[in-house]
Amino acid sequence: MNGSNVRIGELDLANPVLTASGCFGYGLEYDEFFDVATLGGICTKGLSLEPRLGNPPERICETPAGMLNAIGLANVGVENFCTVKLPTLRERGVTVVANIFASSVADFVKITERLEAEDGVHAIELNVSCPNVTVGGIEFGKDPKLASEVTRAVRQSTKRPVWVKMSPEAGDILAVGRACEEAGADALTAINTIRGMSIDINTRRLRLVALRIVWDLCGAVSIPVIAIGGIATWQHALEFIMAGASAVQVGTASFSDPCAAKHVMDGIAAFCSQNETTVADLIGAARSS
Amino acid sequence: MEHTAPMAARRMITAPLLHRESIGASYHVLTFDVPEGSDAQPGQFAMVRGAEWGDAPLLPRPMSYLTGGTTPSILIKVIGEGTLRMGRAEPGEPFTLLGPLGNTWRPPSRNRRPVLVAGGVGIAPLLYFAKQIAADGATPLSIYGGRSSRDLPLEDELSEISETHLTTEDGSRGTRGRVTDVLESLLDAGSEVYTCGPDRMMAAVAAICAKRDVPCQVSLETPMACGYGVCLGCPVPTTDGGYLYACMNGPCIDARLVDFSRSDHAPRKVATTAGGAK
Repeated sequence: MNGSNVRIGELDLANPVLTASGCFGYGLEYDEFFDVATLGGICTKGLSLEPRLGNPPERICETPAGMLNAIGLANVGVENFCTVKLPTLRERGVTVVANIFASSVADFVKITERLEAEDGVHAIELNVSCPNVTVGGIEFGKDPKLASEVTRAVRQSTKRPVWVKMSPEAGDILAVGRACEEAGADALTAINTIRGMSIDINTRRLRLVALRIVWDLCGAVSIPVIAIGGIATWQHALEFIMAGASAVQVGTASFSDPCAAKHVMDGIAAFCSQNETTVADLIGAARSS
Repeated sequence: MEHTAPMAARRMITAPLLHRESIGASYHVLTFDVPEGSDAQPGQFAMVRGAEWGDAPLLPRPMSYLTGGTTPSILIKVIGEGTLRMGRAEPGEPFTLLGPLGNTWRPPSRNRRPVLVAGGVGIAPLLYFAKQIAADGATPLSIYGGRSSRDLPLEDELSEISETHLTTEDGSRGTRGRVTDVLESLLDAGSEVYTCGPDRMMAAVAAICAKRDVPCQVSLETPMACGYGVCLGCPVPTTDGGYLYACMNGPCIDARLVDFSRSDHAPRKVATTAGGAK
């Protein structure tokens, strides 16, 4: 232990740095750049019951405010993940958070049950907030009642920690967060991608929005909140941790630098060492000062 | 579809710009100083970004290798913010290079003559390939086209090592017209075609090759965020109704697998969300 370890509900992580779903493949793609097992964890590409091809081109576009995307949840499907990807992740000792999505509560449960049959999945992250598909996804994340329903159903289908990924599109995101907490979520992840067009020229709009939402959520629920949204450096990560997040996920930054998450992880450890503090002590530090 | 790229020794390095050669107003050759050398082969690409660009442009740009070894180079055409900065870079400026990525051109079959069909900046992976072919003692046939004489960067280098036919749409250099006008008359049953350029040009070249039953490889170009199969931002429609990914299944690929009718001829779909990749 180097002071970086954090606890997300019942789950111990070696450090607070995870990689965000959709920005890190199934983890092994990055193994040649650094040892991904050293990360706090990886969140898989969103898994569906059946494989999905994704949207037609073009899918991405860079703007001064971040990368716009419409990938369309292309993925190998939960079965292929369990039989092809997961065994290697398990063997390598990677902390795996399986990100899943579906267009019905029944399918969320089916995917969860399939994962339940496998060792090596440490938590399940519900994607109830993807705006890039026509059916399912974000509807669950906008409505406290639907979010609660899907959380409860998954909660009852697994012994593993259940994280729910919040949508910035929810009208009342705090109500959605509280509903998920009451339905048995172990943690909340905030935030998923923003539906947008490029407007801001000189600011990282995504991070500003995410930080505000994370701050508010941390005050609204008592379960851990995991932050995501424009985190590219260890300084960004500490902003979110000091705002109350128990861990962070690195997203788009992994595209421009495959080792971005490692740099964040190492930077936090160095900061803690230099300041003789621990991540646990830094969580929410900005709230009490 | 089994066209997964070989897992070469790809790595991310920071290398200083050794020199930048301007070719007219829009084109530049950037050469980097990499003492430990690069394994890059013709057809492969690197993700290139200024190490001191800060927050924006955020993403690296996929660029075909023009040369490899200890002085790898790329040919750029100034299109947007990223290439504008590359076109202004001065010697000594550090760049990050992630590569080599993607697969190489498949070497020509025995007894077949390589025919290289390039459009504008698409010359880069083909000139590198032509040099390799010439080093092996053969002389490729090349057809190189652009809108005008200003859009034929490095034509002199190509002409030195290949039998080269130039075309321009305005007739300012070579034959007036398009590469396909010349290709029709130069192809024979023993040809093997390699092409890189705008999608429309490659689609037309591929169609001619299919009609004449001549093998054809294309080098795909799409927007790309990562370069190694993670972001899934570089789908290319395939004839079986699915997609392949330009970074991992290409960029060099058998033209028969690509459905150009669903590629970027189609009305552009605008990506609609910021952050991550869903």
